Amino acid sequence: MTGTLPTPTSQELTPDRLLDAYRVMRTIRDFEERVHEEFAGGDIPGFVHLYAGEEASAAGVCAHLDDRDAIASTHRGHGHCIAKGVDITGMMAEIYGKTTGSCRGKGGSMHIADLSKGMLGANGIVGGGPPLICGRALASKHKADGGVAVAFFGDGASNQGTTLESLNLATIWNLPAIFVAENNGYAEATSSSWSVASDDIADRAAAFGMPGVIVDGFDFFAVHEAAGEAIARAREGGGPTLIEVKFTRYFGHFEGDQQLYRGAEVADARERLDCLKRFRARVTDAGQLTDAQLDQIDSEVASSVDAAVEAAKAAPKPGADDLLTDVYVSY
Amino acid sequence: MRDPPNFNAGLVWWSATPVQPLFRCPWGSEVAHAGRRGPRLSAEARVRHDGSNGQVVRPVALPVVPGATLGVVANPMSGRDIRRLVAQASVFPNAEKTNMALRLVSAAGATGVARVLMSTDAMGVAGGVLRARDKRRPGDPRWPELEFVELDAITGTAEDTRELVRRMAALGASVIVLLGGDGTVRAAAAASGDVPLLPLSTGTNNAFPEMWEATVAGTAAGLLATGRVPAADATYRAKALHVAAGPVHELALVDVCVSTVAHVGSRALWQPATLRELYCAFAEPHAIGLSSIAGLLHPAGRTAPDGVVVHLAGAEHAPRTVLAPIAPGVVAPIGVRHAAPLVAAQPHPVQLDRGTVAVDGEREIEFGPATPVTVTLAPDGPRVLDVRGVLAAAAQRRLLDPSAATAGS
Amino acid sequence: MARTITYREAINEALAQEMERDERVIVMGEDNAGGEGSPGEADAWGGVLGVTKGLYGRFPGRVLDTPISESAFIGAAIGAATGGMRPVAELMFIDFMGVCFDQIFNQAAKFRYMFGGKAVTPVVIRTMWGAGLRAAAQHSQSLLSVFTHVPGLKVAAPSNAYDAKGLMIQAIRDDDPVIFAEHKMLYDTSADVPEESYAIPFGEANVVREGGDVTIVAIGRMVHTALEAAEELAGSGVQAEIVDPRTTSPLDVDTILESVEATGRLVVVDEANPRCSLATDVAATVAQDAFGSLRAPIQLVTGPHTPVPFADALEDLYIPDAGRIAGAVKKVVDYGG
Repeated sequence: MTGTLPTPTSQELTPDRLLDAYRVMRTIRDFEERVHEEFAGGDIPGFVHLYAGEEASAAGVCAHLDDRDAIASTHRGHGHCIAKGVDITGMMAEIYGKTTGSCRGKGGSMHIADLSKGMLGANGIVGGGPPLICGRALASKHKADGGVAVAFFGDGASNQGTTLESLNLATIWNLPAIFVAENNGYAEATSSSWSVASDDIADRAAAFGMPGVIVDGFDFFAVHEAAGEAIARAREGGGPTLIEVKFTRYFGHFEGDQQLYRGAEVADARERLDCLKRFRARVTDAGQLTDAQLDQIDSEVASSVDAAVEAAKAAPKPGADDLLTDVYVSY
Repeated sequence: MRDPPNFNAGLVWWSATPVQPLFRCPWGSEVAHAGRRGPRLSAEARVRHDGSNGQVVRPVALPVVPGATLGVVANPMSGRDIRRLVAQASVFPNAEKTNMALRLVSAAGATGVARVLMSTDAMGVAGGVLRARDKRRPGDPRWPELEFVELDAITGTAEDTRELVRRMAALGASVIVLLGGDGTVRAAAAASGDVPLLPLSTGTNNAFPEMWEATVAGTAAGLLATGRVPAADATYRAKALHVAAGPVHELALVDVCVSTVAHVGSRALWQPATLRELYCAFAEPHAIGLSSIAGLLHPAGRTAPDGVVVHLAGAEHAPRTVLAPIAPGVVAPIGVRHAAPLVAAQPHPVQLDRGTVAVDGEREIEFGPATPVTVTLAPDGPRVLDVRGVLAAAAQRRLLDPSAATAGS
Repeated sequence: MARTITYREAINEALAQEMERDERVIVMGEDNAGGEGSPGEADAWGGVLGVTKGLYGRFPGRVLDTPISESAFIGAAIGAATGGMRPVAELMFIDFMGVCFDQIFNQAAKFRYMFGGKAVTPVVIRTMWGAGLRAAAQHSQSLLSVFTHVPGLKVAAPSNAYDAKGLMIQAIRDDDPVIFAEHKMLYDTSADVPEESYAIPFGEANVVREGGDVTIVAIGRMVHTALEAAEELAGSGVQAEIVDPRTTSPLDVDTILESVEATGRLVVVDEANPRCSLATDVAATVAQDAFGSLRAPIQLVTGPHTPVPFADALEDLYIPDAGRIAGAVKKVVDYGG
């Protein structure tokens, strides 16, 4: 490969793209903070797992994707949904279990999906996503549509057999698949530095014949750059990549988690490392965007989240008729 | 057995009980020590260490010099280089750093070093060294005493490297071996003062460290640590590039590159079309990385007073082009407008008005019109061990003859 | 135009005809060609028992060998199905379901429901089941009931070559995930099978033999064993009606009930282990919905509550035979006098 460099990713960060990225991250942050509040109020049934703190990963990767590309997510899936373009009104209604939800109230927080946008669903099974992504990448390869498939999974899933098998399969079939290991330091309440034998998940990539790199998950630009290279390579038939994103989650494993297993890292991260703060500082210092433009987005997003919550609260719950429908296409 | 060091609360596999060796001999430890250490020798051939059977006792290492101390700082962070995706950057697992540390320790033992100070980390490098120490059996070649230097808190940043180097210097290390890339050396250089460093190449971004096998490097470091080769003959002082960008100040040991890339992002620089100005403290034709551009046009040695400054342009617009190995696996055409000596102590203002400054190959500073940037070459880099020089002296003065050496000389 | 071909050939023909008709159909599994990366022939096996032989050459790029990574490739087949392909993946032995079950029962089976009716997952998972090959405990099970239990899956289990071809074609055209269970002892059996393509709808049982004295519901290989028993019983004047459900999900309960209402007696034959099985499912349904028609308690003829033994003498005791079926029929016929 001497003499040739991959062409720099076409994803140059123009002011418009920067605004889009900021909007995605701000929407995720406000959405999750609001769900945190509403959950504490007792109106939301079931389990929710919040993505706040991790926005740069979803935003940085999904900035390179379009509707022909598929993503698979985890139980902590709201951020991936938003970054992939799923409508937040439907998402909020789904979390509230209402019939206007993205899944008609039949999936809930852990199963929000929008197949028209290539969002294969949040997934309640750790490690459930990577094999599905191998399949979507296989389909794209077969259809020759230039599409890629991205599996978001956590440090917990990095130890699951399904993930390791998928890394192997993606390499031997040379699939346009990107594996994004979101290492937030904890799989439920267990530290990833203990549970991941190789310490760095990216070190596993070489064992499966694909390149792997670690990226600072608090830095949108770092994620965007690495993901851009991986996705461009995959689209051109260069095969799979493993990107390990390192950061921290601001909330517990699930809402209600007392988080006794954690140190003081959240306060420090919110203060020093927060991806939204850093993004704002960088783009304003570089003169690419103004505070006024970003403030405008902040206020638009705040309104849209408010509207989504109001709509969700007002919407009806599914009825007895909905119980038995949509098990099969035909039976 | 002393208590195991407390590396980090996060390193959960430590417990209050003494560390058990990782490998359990299936026959039981008594049997393992008893007759399984090697081929059986006849009574006549067996050499007793007390010389009581009249055979000549040949020492197998140089005599220990009391107090001779060598430090090893291994940067456990790896895998962050995007050139693993866009080029063929090497994958350097931490297990290999452990192996390198063990090779250093063996060589230090052979050259009579009394004590090795080992850095601690939460990623298993130090853990691997500790496990190896605990697996040792009587009769294994002599090792120096191993002391693990603990930090009050592991930050996972360059500050850890700086603090470890400071502590090792304070504990009397006569030389500190670094296992890491350019970033590790830069951090260590900020804290090493007059203590010589021996950077060993690991990871990808290795323009400053030279490629030395760890056993050979350990031998050279041991000769310095035990005073067998005096520091004046064994070391040189490296040059440094000082970058000032408003209130921010960075140090580079190899090169400073100004590019049009707007953000620090994933840090590495690999896109030729974005490079504009290159300042090199030294430029070797055999280097890998950005300094090879200068090295192939206008070489400047590590100890020569001047460096090199090169102004770059896109390959299509430039008066001349050089094919340079700017990244692992990548030999790319680089457009050059102008190359000239870089004289020390003269601040050079960066001409580009907006972009990023990469220090030793990693984007570190984003600047715009409001932050003028200057680059200045100075002779105040770290002291560096000259491996080739030390071993040449050792050969000439027959320093590695264990029977000729006497303790303390 | 019908001619006599084997169960194996019938499935192969169904696959070939559907692959010809629809380019979205792909086949994948361990050694489904057999020889990937090896120096000898590609398509050296065509599946461990030869079911997919010849497809590799006829449909280049559409028959994929996989590594032994069921979670990954069964999951990949499911994922590809959501992306517009119609994959036929092979889970070589139904006994291996443990290593990939999540992808089947938590992912494929539930997408449509969990995602509010917006997912379509047209995947077929072919798998071998049944005892008799002396393949021992981990290669001889009949775990159809586990899949039948899961809403969102369909399960087909043909007993003969004619049904095998028609049900496979239906399975591939069906937009839901289908477990297509092939009884390993039936591959060499033959039947008259039309050359042309035809689909047998799911949820339609086949009354293999008509009779007025007792209803025998049997599945897979047991259909043949039941026929054997029926011949024997006819000799003593007992006419058995044999109902082959062909698919356990959906299950053609109506045909079973209709038959029991006519005969008043039910024997269910299922070589699987007895607890929570197809046999108990059918028995409970009939007891609930046709109690008034029953003239005798329902009899279940099943395997024992043990793993499948290896020794041929033991495996032969494990598998229900015609004698046991005839014995159960006699019991219900003789009941109450």
